[in-house]
Amino acid sequence: MFKNYFTIALRNIKRHRSHSVINIAGLAIALAATIVIFLVLQHEYSYDTYHKNADRIYQVIKKDVSPTETGFQVGVPFPATRALRQDFPQVTFGELYKSFGSQLTVMKDPNTISSRRFIEESGVFFADPEIFSIFDVKWMAGSAAVLKEPGKLVLAKSIAEKYFGTWQSAMDGYLKIDNNILVQVAGIIEDVPSNSDFPFAVIPSYKTFESNQQYFNYGEQINDWGLSTSDHQVYALLPENMKAASIDANLETFSRKYYRMESATKTSHFLQPLKNIHFDTRLENNGDHISNKTSLNTLALIGVLIVLMACINFINLSTALAAKRGKEVGIRKVMGSSKTQLRTQVLFETGLIVLFAGMTAVLLAWLALPYLRYIADIQQQLTLINTGSILFLVITLVVTTILAGFYPSLILSSFQPVEAIKNKINNTRVGGLSLRRVLVVLQFAFSQLLIIATIIAVGQMNFIRTADIGFDKEAVLLLQGNNDSTSLARQAAFKSDLLKLPAVKSVSFTMDPPSSLNSWTTNFAFNNNTEDLPFSLYLKTGDEHYAGTFGMNLLAGRFYTTADSARKVVINETLMQKVGIKEPSEAIGKTIRIGAGKFREIVGVVRDFKNNSLRDGIQPTAIISYPAFYSLTAIKLKSNNLGKSGEAIQQVWDKHYPEYAAETRFLDESINEFYQQEERLSRLYKVYATLAIIISCLGLYGLVSFMAVQKNKEVGIRKVLGASVGSIVYLFSKEFTVLILIAFALAAPAGWYLMNNWLQNFTYRIDIGAWVFILAVLASVIIAWLTVGYKAISAATANPVKSLKSE
Amino acid sequence: MIKLKNITKWVNNGNNRVFLLKDINLQFNEGEFISIMGPSGSGKSTLLNVIGMIDDADEGEYHFLDQAVHEMKEKQRALLYKQHIGFVFQAYHLIDELTVYENIETPLLYQNIKSSDRKAMVADMLDRFNIVGKKDLFPNQLSGGQQQLVGIARALIGAPTVILADEPTGNLNSKQGEEIMELFRELNEKDGVTIIQVTHSEKNAAYGNRIIHLLDGRVDHHAMEQYTKTV
Ligand SMILES: Nc1ncnc2c1ncn2[C@@H]1O[C@H](COP(=O)(O)OP(=O)(O)OP(=O)(O)O)[C@@H](O)[C@H]1O
Ligand SMILES: [Mg+2]
Repeated sequence: MFKNYFTIALRNIKRHRSHSVINIAGLAIALAATIVIFLVLQHEYSYDTYHKNADRIYQVIKKDVSPTETGFQVGVPFPATRALRQDFPQVTFGELYKSFGSQLTVMKDPNTISSRRFIEESGVFFADPEIFSIFDVKWMAGSAAVLKEPGKLVLAKSIAEKYFGTWQSAMDGYLKIDNNILVQVAGIIEDVPSNSDFPFAVIPSYKTFESNQQYFNYGEQINDWGLSTSDHQVYALLPENMKAASIDANLETFSRKYYRMESATKTSHFLQPLKNIHFDTRLENNGDHISNKTSLNTLALIGVLIVLMACINFINLSTALAAKRGKEVGIRKVMGSSKTQLRTQVLFETGLIVLFAGMTAVLLAWLALPYLRYIADIQQQLTLINTGSILFLVITLVVTTILAGFYPSLILSSFQPVEAIKNKINNTRVGGLSLRRVLVVLQFAFSQLLIIATIIAVGQMNFIRTADIGFDKEAVLLLQGNNDSTSLARQAAFKSDLLKLPAVKSVSFTMDPPSSLNSWTTNFAFNNNTEDLPFSLYLKTGDEHYAGTFGMNLLAGRFYTTADSARKVVINETLMQKVGIKEPSEAIGKTIRIGAGKFREIVGVVRDFKNNSLRDGIQPTAIISYPAFYSLTAIKLKSNNLGKSGEAIQQVWDKHYPEYAAETRFLDESINEFYQQEERLSRLYKVYATLAIIISCLGLYGLVSFMAVQKNKEVGIRKVLGASVGSIVYLFSKEFTVLILIAFALAAPAGWYLMNNWLQNFTYRIDIGAWVFILAVLASVIIAWLTVGYKAISAATANPVKSLKSE
Repeated sequence: MIKLKNITKWVNNGNNRVFLLKDINLQFNEGEFISIMGPSGSGKSTLLNVIGMIDDADEGEYHFLDQAVHEMKEKQRALLYKQHIGFVFQAYHLIDELTVYENIETPLLYQNIKSSDRKAMVADMLDRFNIVGKKDLFPNQLSGGQQQLVGIARALIGAPTVILADEPTGNLNSKQGEEIMELFRELNEKDGVTIIQVTHSEKNAAYGNRIIHLLDGRVDHHAMEQYTKTV
């Protein structure tokens, strides 16, 4: 029986070749798109699920509530760990200190430096042994116990091989961290899976951090409950059957016990489940990205809709074709076929087409996967074939078969054999002409929605890229160094050598460029008041050439100088307005107390610049001098073209900092990186809008080809009666144009609503103009006309006698 | 074996009820060879379809082998005619996408017959109709007469007790027509298959042992008497 189904299905596929190609192509594209989306979602939702205690692991989060704002921080004060262990003895706590851009120098022996040095942008975590009672890693050598001592470190296998050749020879080898801290390799772990937000690669013991505090610039503050940095994090493993909520309640008491409660800002802690860490956009994590669940769900929805569109094509074309197959159905009924058998046959044929499409889709997905990193946050190569994806594919193919085949199978099996045999089945009898119209409208509505979304997303991205950020980001080279005392001591000489280079215009030492993703905030008081203001002050720190090197605009006063930099401060417009001053000149001479320090005099007001990405607003900001933090050298060049001077700058660096690797980047490039996520998102929209358009055009083309056959006779008669080609093309296009306009009436409000919501993520955003919608509707009408046009013209120019004779 | 009592069928055309069949009372016995005649539009095909259970009457009773067909659900009816009825059409109605072999095999697929048995049965049929050489051809590669042979082979493969043939020779030349009629006679006489055929040709009608005349959806007793007189 199935062999018979199979042969006839194959012959039908061959006989209605163009129809099959359209069906298979449309479905294949749609299925490939969903497979890719599935892989993305599968990867994103798999983060850190492999820890065997995953559902008992939590991160201790700090929450600061002030009268005006609530802030969340992953950073926990240093003394908190011990207090937590004391007050919650039943919970396992682990702490780590994360280090960015650390330099690791391989040592020949404890006293001899080798020339092998590496900068690790991320992956360096000073961790205590408890961290690995909480998180699972596979030990190849040593154990978590080696982290009990200072001066010991654990390496991930690939890093050990990179530093020492083989991981076996890495054991007991020595490394120097940032040229200061000598550590010995005491353990090797397997590389952490890519779906983890804890990319442990270089793991010195937490004790190493504690016994080398002088290199980390925390000084006495390290015991202060008022200081926290996002680099110091605490994790908890709850005993089985203990509810996080009960700990949270006790953490309130805990916070009241340890934090100064008289301050305007109330601090408390709560536990964040491990499974939220990859998705909580209020916080940062240690991985390379945080995923927005809304975006992921939107993506899933797009996947489903695209498959539905392809199913709609299938249903449209199959019911259109049903008339042609009426006779076969009638005969089969007369031969004794039951309705169920006929339905099974249609579903079987659909299944076969879907299967072909599925195989094509796997191929397409395989071709597309390497390009995924341009549209998704996932930078590593995903594997196409895994248990989950195979299961997904099978389920999708079955569901698609049912979606696409069920309605046509109902239509076909309901034919009365007498009528089928009398050849009375025609297109109107097949019914569903209005159903087909509804389906086409839905398809167009969806592709127009995507067109609208794409236009707006791309517009917003362009707006951000070209927006005025309030300073000059061009031709500034950033060199990342260190801020230990020896490095700082050499800065003056380094600078004077740099200034001798003809390409260099100015040099500034700083911690951070004006726009960066780091933020440093503090409490503050204004104009000799003892009371703190109820909002945080954002700090930027740099030497007296900061404003010049970054091309900032002074609205009043001056920048601080070498002579007075320790006592003066420069503020931005927003801060000025927030403290209630209208004219920049009025701010000059007023004072600010930063944190618990002395009052400093305001000497200048700068025009607002974007502190962070344009997603966030401009914050009230003060620029102060704080030489102990200057690890970054900013060099303003005379032109954006680095040319030979790159080498010259490198030579100057090597002369002064031979033991450090130079890490250089251009400011404008690093600013562009802030928007990578948005950039990818807008690419994603473009890709999926294109796919949606292709699929709906395929459907339209199929439908019009069918109409052309149906209308052959009508067109023939009209032509004999003297109709022009134009009027016949119009006959074809008229209906579709109306359908597109109806679709537009659905897509436009939906598009406006969705994208207006999306734009709310940005403080600086474009207005959604009417032109967006006009462009979208014009685009889809033109695309549809092009699709319909070819068929319509060939129908209109065909020889009328031929088409009439064939009847 | 077939009893029709007051079979009436109509269509509504606006306010008018147009009768396709009106008060048909007929009885056919096993082993008969019946010819149905009548002018075009008199309801011959409609009657045949009702007998073949692929169309419903609006009124009246229909008993097939003492079972009340008019009271049956579609499923039961399908089961009944699958077992007992073979159809032959004027326009052959072969499935274009299937080969000769597969066309003949189709009814067996719906009777759940084992693959090996099917092979043997189809081979028998091909042999019997001398079309073994054509088994892999598609209908459009055959002449009309050959197509009708395939149609008859397909009707016979399920070993039906009744063959319903609607102008089986209508599209054939007279020689081909004669061959088909000879075949029917043989089936009727040797195998005892009941045959009910619709025909316009007096000559073909004469192959039957009884002729039913229809006129405007009624049995035309007058014409039938005339006919018996002339014979
Ligand atoms: N669905 C229908 N609606 C209206 N009239 C119908 C329908 N089906 C059949 N008829 C009419 O019923 C009458 C009988 O049709 P039928 O096909 O049975 O005639 P016939 O005797 O087989 O004619 P022919 O010799 O031309 O094949 C005809 O007048 C036909 O027009
Ligand atoms: Mg007829």
